[in-house]
Amino acid sequence: MSVLDLDHVFFLLIVNIGIAVLWGNRPFVGKILTLLYILEGLSILTSYHVLLSGAVLSSSLTFTVMQQTVQWQLGVSGGFFALITFMAAGLATWFSSGVWARSYAPIRLLHSYMALNVAAMLLLLASNDFLGLFIAWELVSLVSFLIIAINGGRSAKAAYSYILYAFLGAMAILLALIIIWNATNSFSYVEVRHHWSTMSVNRQLIVVLLLITGFGIKMAILPFHRWQAPAYAYVPAPVAAFLGAISSRMGLFALFIVLLQVVGIDVIQTLWLPFEIINMQTFLLWLAALTLIIPTFIALRQTDARLLLAWHGIGQGGFMLLGILSANALGTAGGIMHVFNHASYQAALFFAVFSVSYRTGTADLDRLGGLVTRMPISFTVMLVGIIGLAGLPPMNGFVSKWLIYKALLDEGMPLLFLAAVIGTLGTILSVYKLIHNTFLGQLRLEHENIKEVPWSMSIPMMILASIVFITGYFPGLLLESIAAMQSTLGISVVDYHLGGVNTGKGNLNMIVVVSTMLMAIGMGALIFFVLGNPRKQVTQWDNYAGGHFLTSDMRYQYSHNFYPGLMRVISPLYRNTIFWLESAIVSTVQFMAHISYALFMQANYLLYLILLVVISLLWVLAV
Amino acid sequence: MKDVIPIQTNNTETIAVSKNSKNIYQQAIDTFSNFCRARSLFVLHYCTGCGAIELPPAMTSRFDMERLGIQPMVTPRQADILLITGYVSIKTLKRVILTYEQMQGPKYVIGICSCTVNGGMYWQSYATAKVLSEYLPVDMYIAGCMPRPEAVLTGLQQLMKKIEKGEANSWENYFKRYDYYLGNQQHLFGDTWHTPTDILEEARHYHLYGAESTGNNTARLIKYTVEHDLTKLDAPLREKDSMTKRGKK
Amino acid sequence: MSGQHIFLELILMPLLAFMIGLFLVLMMRKVRARIERRVGPPFLQPLWDIIKLYVKKMQISHGVIHDLGIIMLLGGYITAEVFLPVPGMSGFTSQGDIITLIYLMMVPSLGLALGVGQCANPNGSIGISRALTAMLAYDIPFIVVIAGACLYYGTTDLTEIIALQKSQQWGLLSMPILALAGLIAIHAMLGKEPFEIYVAPAEIATGPMVEMSGKYLGSLFVMQCLQIYTITVLYTSLFLGGGYTWFDFIPKLFLVALLPVMITVIFPRYKTDDVLRWLWKWPTGLALLGLAIVVLQG
Repeated sequence: MSVLDLDHVFFLLIVNIGIAVLWGNRPFVGKILTLLYILEGLSILTSYHVLLSGAVLSSSLTFTVMQQTVQWQLGVSGGFFALITFMAAGLATWFSSGVWARSYAPIRLLHSYMALNVAAMLLLLASNDFLGLFIAWELVSLVSFLIIAINGGRSAKAAYSYILYAFLGAMAILLALIIIWNATNSFSYVEVRHHWSTMSVNRQLIVVLLLITGFGIKMAILPFHRWQAPAYAYVPAPVAAFLGAISSRMGLFALFIVLLQVVGIDVIQTLWLPFEIINMQTFLLWLAALTLIIPTFIALRQTDARLLLAWHGIGQGGFMLLGILSANALGTAGGIMHVFNHASYQAALFFAVFSVSYRTGTADLDRLGGLVTRMPISFTVMLVGIIGLAGLPPMNGFVSKWLIYKALLDEGMPLLFLAAVIGTLGTILSVYKLIHNTFLGQLRLEHENIKEVPWSMSIPMMILASIVFITGYFPGLLLESIAAMQSTLGISVVDYHLGGVNTGKGNLNMIVVVSTMLMAIGMGALIFFVLGNPRKQVTQWDNYAGGHFLTSDMRYQYSHNFYPGLMRVISPLYRNTIFWLESAIVSTVQFMAHISYALFMQANYLLYLILLVVISLLWVLAV
Repeated sequence: MKDVIPIQTNNTETIAVSKNSKNIYQQAIDTFSNFCRARSLFVLHYCTGCGAIELPPAMTSRFDMERLGIQPMVTPRQADILLITGYVSIKTLKRVILTYEQMQGPKYVIGICSCTVNGGMYWQSYATAKVLSEYLPVDMYIAGCMPRPEAVLTGLQQLMKKIEKGEANSWENYFKRYDYYLGNQQHLFGDTWHTPTDILEEARHYHLYGAESTGNNTARLIKYTVEHDLTKLDAPLREKDSMTKRGKK
Repeated sequence: MSGQHIFLELILMPLLAFMIGLFLVLMMRKVRARIERRVGPPFLQPLWDIIKLYVKKMQISHGVIHDLGIIMLLGGYITAEVFLPVPGMSGFTSQGDIITLIYLMMVPSLGLALGVGQCANPNGSIGISRALTAMLAYDIPFIVVIAGACLYYGTTDLTEIIALQKSQQWGLLSMPILALAGLIAIHAMLGKEPFEIYVAPAEIATGPMVEMSGKYLGSLFVMQCLQIYTITVLYTSLFLGGGYTWFDFIPKLFLVALLPVMITVIFPRYKTDDVLRWLWKWPTGLALLGLAIVVLQG
């Protein structure tokens, strides 16, 4: 393997963009692009063993500014995220490559934006210092904006709100970089880490907070969570899967690099917020816990399947942050592993939901039901996906969540453990509602002739579902690169094997757990099918209704407001505080804009008078 | 015209497994099954008549049905016994039949009170079904106006004995002689009478299809089904036309 | 452990669980009957019920998922039993700790939920909605209890927890408040009055069981046995020092199950909201108090 392997990938990406821009409308292009993404993924995978040993893949792309040489090289953490990116992009393109593309007019835009997104993300993942990171970060924000706004309408509105947040984030990062530059005179990670302690404690605190604000906006941590769900929900299917799977994890990647590699979790632990109210690490952990709980319970209230999934994406981001910040080998491993796991099942779930809406024309959970007999593959994929999202064995979501729970218990943080479990329970409630209202219950009359989606759409879904299962069965496949990541970062390394982890105080061996489950389910099937007499399948109208005769004009389905008892208790808690705050800020800005406009246009002489009075008052007070 | 169900008037096909052909293991299993069936009876009360008032004492501490293994259940799917307490009006009878058809065999019907035997004091009523066993296979009548809980329990114990001996098989008659029962039902409810449960299909599925399963009355049902493009027997989703017609009579 | 040994345990542990579960169910029905001044069911009544349901000659299915749900439910509990240490047999306890066990116990609920969902009966769906709500209600105090116990013992491995209790003292004595909160939580987990919101026969026609006939209902009865067994064994392992031998283990299980049963008979049913409010107030408060004591003790 040559050292400059990354150049190949960049070259392929440029080819990718070129093909998408030039021939994006042609029917076969989707397949070529899929192949290219797979090729790019493979080219990283073939040199992955180099990454695991701690080496990097470098590229010849470099420039020098202010005596800082900016260059791009992919380490193991970047490689891990890059693989997820290519997986998501490749399968999303595959999903859109066949019949689906015919139903979507601006397919060229979609392919081009997707390719641009992947390229920008790779630049971000391969960045090696703050300057490169910042440049790539801005590129990612820009192309994300483009891809979110692709459909116009609601998603464009969400995209504007995103770009405003992204500006705020960029300013925060820029400010942090200025402070860092002033203190350390360098942008390189190593140098910054080396000179970190030369900054005063207050500076350190401000820099950390600014960076968390800047990068956290991308992963929609509280209180910047409002933009993401509408932005990710109302986009076309492949885009939703791609964005939901990996896009917002770029923020997590940056935070991971900054907090663990540059600042160091030990520094975070010694930083205190003003007046020593709360430790920085505890503060961030609780922020992550709230990011987990609040969006999860907002998801519980959604009636649109896409919004429900998008809100869960935000919540699971909180889970990852919780793991990464736990300062525990298991927790860090769980946090990073959850990125992969979430990408796999979230993409699968988005595909399943969009398959349903492709066939039925709606993703409204109150207008679906009983589709399992008509779309069994989509059902299976969604089942695997929701088991993963809910974090139940045997799917991969369970493993990463287990690692995080265990880390929180080991670190003596029972309340955070409780918060994590509450998040999981909320997820279970909400995903059951999702699968019940879509696939179970009564089949509606208008959906009688629905068919399964074509293979071009169902194969990528099935691949994702099998990834969800296989990485749940053999979590060691992922833990290997995570352990390598931990050792390159110099933090404690997780003691893993192919089936899970050994901690000495409670182990997890998924091979045993899943094998036992499979065997037990076999035993259950044996008991069920061998014992007893045959059964007869009846129609949904042959159903208990207290002696009532059921007919097809009768909706005999329970789907709207699925958890009324729970909602009666917790609905007073949904206060939309952030929403009000946001509208207050928007109104203030609008008001200021109106005033400036009036001043500029000399619309009202009274304004000058007021201004004069205010200035003179200030002057008097000042003197 | 769609041929939904082939009408066979002189079908001589009988139950697949007749008693003589069973080997000793099957007989042992059958004996044990009947033993268990007799010891565990789940009861569904259809209590629209006055006899219902006798059941709470039969269930609670005075007489305690549970010591015989008899428990109340809520839905027809779970139940073994359909307990009909008292007179059955024609409107009620439709629901009783629906409920009975939704129960899973072996299932037993017990008519409590004289009204189920012969209409009792409602003999002259135009709106009461007089003899319950014309519409459903009844395993046991417990006469009286009303029978005391002791009588109810004695009746249940007699039924248990019958079950244990393997003699309480009248539920099979509903499948084997469906034409007869359907005819009586149609006599009361008219030719458009139909239920969501497909009895003929079930009879075939469980090998209970007999010579008298089909006849003129089932032919009428099938004709209605086909005429209204109901095909409810295999795909009830297409029941668009029938939905307003059902249960109007 | 040899492969043969493991295979034996894989068969034996669920089988024992089922048999003990049958008697736990019998005890529940007997105690209820005696409190209501009835005679109660005969000795083998739970077994007759299950066999009768399995030998029903007819049963309906609403589709493949209806069947699969039942299989998943049986399989989930069989798996859970193998991860639950009993005297003489520890199964795979060392390969999956108490957190794994708690999540394994949710798999059968998911199976049931899927199966019931396919039945297309709103009573069943309401039952599942309420069951999941109840789960959210009782799992919060229960998780605090688990967290407190794990912090106290310093491990999440159930065999080690039991060994620690045998060498020191029972969790009941070292963490009495947590033990009390745990008892209330398992009462709610068993789904007995006043927390019986998801069965509610008079309201939603037994909820999840509404369309279950024959061996489907029979499997639910089996699940009930396994569920009571699993919950009582979990509680016994956490707070009553597990079992030294089967002769003290089984009485402990019956004792743990007996306390909720004695209380349950005198209660009517709460509304869903009230279950949530009550469980989030009292047991959770108690559990947090117990947790605080554990944390402060160091």
